[in-house]
Order: sequence, then structure tokens, then C-alpha cells
Amino acid sequence: MSSVITPPRKLVDIDSANHRFRINRDAYRSAEIFQKEKQMIFSKCWLYVGHASEIPNKGDYVARTVGGGDLIFMRGRSGEAGAFFNSCTHRGTRVCREKRGNTKTFSCPYHGWVYNTEGKLVSMNAKNFAENINADGALNLRKVPRLEEYRGFFFVNYNPAAISLVDFLAGSTEFLDSMCDQTAAELVVLPGEHSYSINANFKYLCENSYDGYHLLPVHVSYLEFLDDRLKAAGDQGAVNFIANLFTKQGRGRGLGNGHAALESWVPTGRPVASWIPPWGPEVKKEIDAKRAWLAEQFGKERADFISDVQKNLVIFPNLVINDNVGMIIRTIEPTSPNTMRVNSWALGPTDESDALRAIRLDNFVSFLGPSGFGSADDIEMLELCQRGIEHSPVEWNELSKGMNGAEDSRVEICGPDDEGHMRAYWAQWDAMMRGAETLEAR
Amino acid sequence: MSNEYTRDQIEEFLYHEAELIDDWRLPEWSELYTDDAEYDVTSLDSDDPINSSSKNSLFLLADDKERLSSRAKRLMKKTAHAEFPHSKVRHIISNVRLGTEAGGEIKVKANFVVYRTKEDKTSQYMGQMHYVLIPHESGGFRIRRKRCILDLNSLADQGRLTIIL
Repeated sequence: MSSVITPPRKLVDIDSANHRFRINRDAYRSAEIFQKEKQMIFSKCWLYVGHASEIPNKGDYVARTVGGGDLIFMRGRSGEAGAFFNSCTHRGTRVCREKRGNTKTFSCPYHGWVYNTEGKLVSMNAKNFAENINADGALNLRKVPRLEEYRGFFFVNYNPAAISLVDFLAGSTEFLDSMCDQTAAELVVLPGEHSYSINANFKYLCENSYDGYHLLPVHVSYLEFLDDRLKAAGDQGAVNFIANLFTKQGRGRGLGNGHAALESWVPTGRPVASWIPPWGPEVKKEIDAKRAWLAEQFGKERADFISDVQKNLVIFPNLVINDNVGMIIRTIEPTSPNTMRVNSWALGPTDESDALRAIRLDNFVSFLGPSGFGSADDIEMLELCQRGIEHSPVEWNELSKGMNGAEDSRVEICGPDDEGHMRAYWAQWDAMMRGAETLEAR
Repeated sequence: MSNEYTRDQIEEFLYHEAELIDDWRLPEWSELYTDDAEYDVTSLDSDDPINSSSKNSLFLLADDKERLSSRAKRLMKKTAHAEFPHSKVRHIISNVRLGTEAGGEIKVKANFVVYRTKEDKTSQYMGQMHYVLIPHESGGFRIRRKRCILDLNSLADQGRLTIIL
């Protein structure tokens, strides 16, 4: 008897000769593919869990959902950061019920088992258990297999055999460095967060986060707002600037392992170190001084790159780091094939003036977040896309713009309004879904 | 010391503001604000939303007069995609309490529920509004400050906050 084997469906169709790159729409809507993504991608990639500045003191913790895992990210009494599954080893109860705080222990509310900040079970609130019942430590809070840090950014990995975080990050470290190097002091996550849901597949937001092609059609109303502001302050405005220059400067860049970035010029002002007239003279001195310091530290070319270039980075599979209107960390948690949960935070250096800090935050909320003049319209687009693909018989999404015959899409370089950085993402996605790439040490 | 203004007068003004928003008369709505006005919605994870500041923490929304006027102008455009076609909006305002009147300012707090219906989906935004009002020569008031504190931990149900609260 022979069994019938279904040949694997092609989900990413790369036709370099004809400059076509297409994604089968099932990749955005199928429950089966959603399950497979968990296994092939979210169980193998490094996933962002939190920033060092969120747990500065011993006993500090935050509770966070990461790749489906309900985790406690905390700084133990030893001073080391740890990441644990938020579940009592007795019956499974969620032991940490607050979003953040400082504690010496976590007590399970059900039967009173107590864990210390290293996750060790220190009390079972009863005497008649076998004395050595936890000799092997299996009743301690379960640690996430891997937790590593790159310059304050902590990631977890559910695969014990995964390559190191820094190897995984590949070329994206250049972009993390160009944020961390903006100050000789510390970068910290500022208080406050945006947490919202979108009714679309999570990959739609990944694509959108560095999509230069959509800027004018989707964000014209933001650009008009910016235009009014700049012109009122005697500047040339934004709409003409974008129309004339956006497609001529900058680029999309694949950075390896599915990571990619958009480098562009948009006159939003950058708290490091690109001043615009509406910010007023008060902070100009500070921003100019920062720019001079950068040039002194890193040379003019890198200082200009750090100061002027808007950088939208997507770290595969679900982390967005924007260094544009400000510095933004955005995590995208898939919650079903057609829904996602988004969390975002603002970063800032500890050595800036109160005035510049206020401008940084103001710049963030003017464009970004569920009430921003930009993000809200992006969200609408993603939901319109999802709605369309749920019923339409069209099988493929096109990501062919600017395809230039690169041998490996994962390191392709393209124009700022092309789709090469999205191809970098999808080429990695495809390799991992087929099992051709596992991100394990060989 | 008794207050110069009655709850009736204040409520009438708050209902007027709500009506302008619900009727999508947003440019008129923005005229209710003083030139030094602030309209903001605090972070949903703030430990102290009443006293927090958008100058050192991330708010959902923190408009000065310029941006709230721009918000009103933008929302009337077809290219403000998130609100096209316009959602149906309804404000319910209650529990209006008058605070102190000092230095020509009147502090007011009120509870609110705002319903937003876009296509078949209805979302609710509920919470408390903290106003600083100043009397206006027309006999009504102008808003110097309006802070909305939502009784929500996230926008997981609502997804976005694109209408005016």
C-alpha cells in the first residue's frame, strides 16, 4: 500500500529571471501555516523580551508575552537577568499577575508555592512532600532555554541549540549600534507604552514598518500636517521635499537572516541630531552640539548617517526598531492567522535636556501609535488587506518592485520605495518554513 | 466660598463640546480650545495618570492647540484613512463634578463613555475627563486643558483611538 503524500505547496515564488517575487496569500491567512510558523520560526528565532533599563534593580520584573510564551523577565537578587515561564510547576497557575514591579519572591496564589527571583522553589507551603522532591530542580520555575543581550536589548530563544544572539542579529547590529552610539550615557525605555491589536496577519505590519512605497498614498495627510508646521516656521515644507527627493536618496537593505532596514530622508526632525525650525532655537544648540560630538567620536560620515538618516529596521520575525522620529521599540505578537497584538515603547538617552526629551516624545505621538497621524492609517491599510485576501480568489501578493536579480534576496539592496527589504524577510521566512534554515549551530 | 458657576452651566458646555464631536463638526470643536490649550490621553499603563506629563512619558495622544487643530482638520479629509468613511460617534457624559474655581479657572471632572461604530464593529472608550475651563465673553467657556484617563489596560479590543474623546 502506498500512502499519498501531498507535495509541499510553494508559498514564496521567486522568479529572478523575470523579476517576480510573490507570496501565496495563504501565508497570511491559513491556520495550518500559522501553527507551522510557531514551530519553524517562533521556536527557533531570537525574540525580543525587554530592555535592560526596564529592570535596573535587583528584584525588578516585567511580565510579557513573547512568541506565545507568558514570561517573567526579571533581574534576580544576584544581579543577573533571567526569563521564566509564568506558570507554577505544581498545577500550572500563573504566578505573576502584575505587569511589572519589584519583588523578593513570587507566591503562587493557588497553594502557596514560593519561588525566589532566580526561579528557585523555596517553599511548598506544606511538610508532607518527599524531602528531596526538587533535587533535580525540575520544580523550579522553568527557565526559557536561552536569554542573551545585545547592548541592553534582551532576547529569548526557545531552542537550546540556537546560534548566538549576535550571530542571529547579523547586519542589524549596525542599526542597533547607531542608536546606542547616540549617547555616551545610557539609552533607557521611557515610561508609558502603546498596546493595541490589529485585525491582520502580523507579517503585514512587518512589511508596512519599512515600506517606503506607501509613504505618499497613505501618509499624505501627515505630510500635509508636517508641511504646514515647517512652512509656518519658515522652512521649505515636507510635501515637495518628499515628492522630489524621497525616491532618490536612501535604500532598502537586506541584513542577513531575514532582517532588513529602510534608510530614508523625511524632514520630521530627529532628536539626534537633525533639527527642524518648529522645534525652536532652545534645543538647536543642544542638537548641534550632539552632532559635533558624534563627528568627533565617529568621523563625519558616520555622524551624518546617525544624525540624518531615518532608519526603519525589522529584526526577523517580529521586532521593529525605528530610529526615525524618535527611537521606538515595537513588538508584533501574532495572536491568530488574522490578528496581532502590538506593543511599543519610546527610547531616549539619559543625558538629554528636558526640552529635547519633550520634543522626542511629541515627535513620537504625532506620527506613531494608535492615535498618531501616521500609524492609525497604516493600521487601516493592513485591515483592508486582510479583509481583501480573506475572500478574494487572487492567490498571490506581489513584492516584485525594484527586483534587480540579486542572487540572495536576504542581502538584496534596493531603492527606498522598492520592496527588496520585504523580499529579504520573506526569503528567510520561506527558508525556515521549508526547514532549509534552522538558525542552529552547525 | 461658593462657586460662581453652576453645574448646569458647565454640563451645558460639556454637552455642547460632545455634540460637536459626535456631529463631526471638528473645526468648530477645535475653536473651543484656548491658544495655550492641551488635550491629552494618558498612557494606559501609567501608575499616576492624573499627575503624569507627556513631556517625560509616552502618552497615547498629547496635543497642543496647533496639533489639536491639525487633528480636527486632518480628520475631515478623506485621506485620514482610519476615519474614512467617518465612524459613528456618541458621547455619554455624566457624574459631572465641579472642583475649585481659582485664578479665573474652573476645574471640572466628569465620567464618560464614548461609542465608536465603524462598519459592523462597535468599540467603547470609558474613563474620566479632567478639565480646566475658563469663562468666555460669549457667556460660555473655553477649554484650557482636557485630560482623558481611560479605564483600559490596552486597546486590545478597540485597536485604535482615532476619534476625539
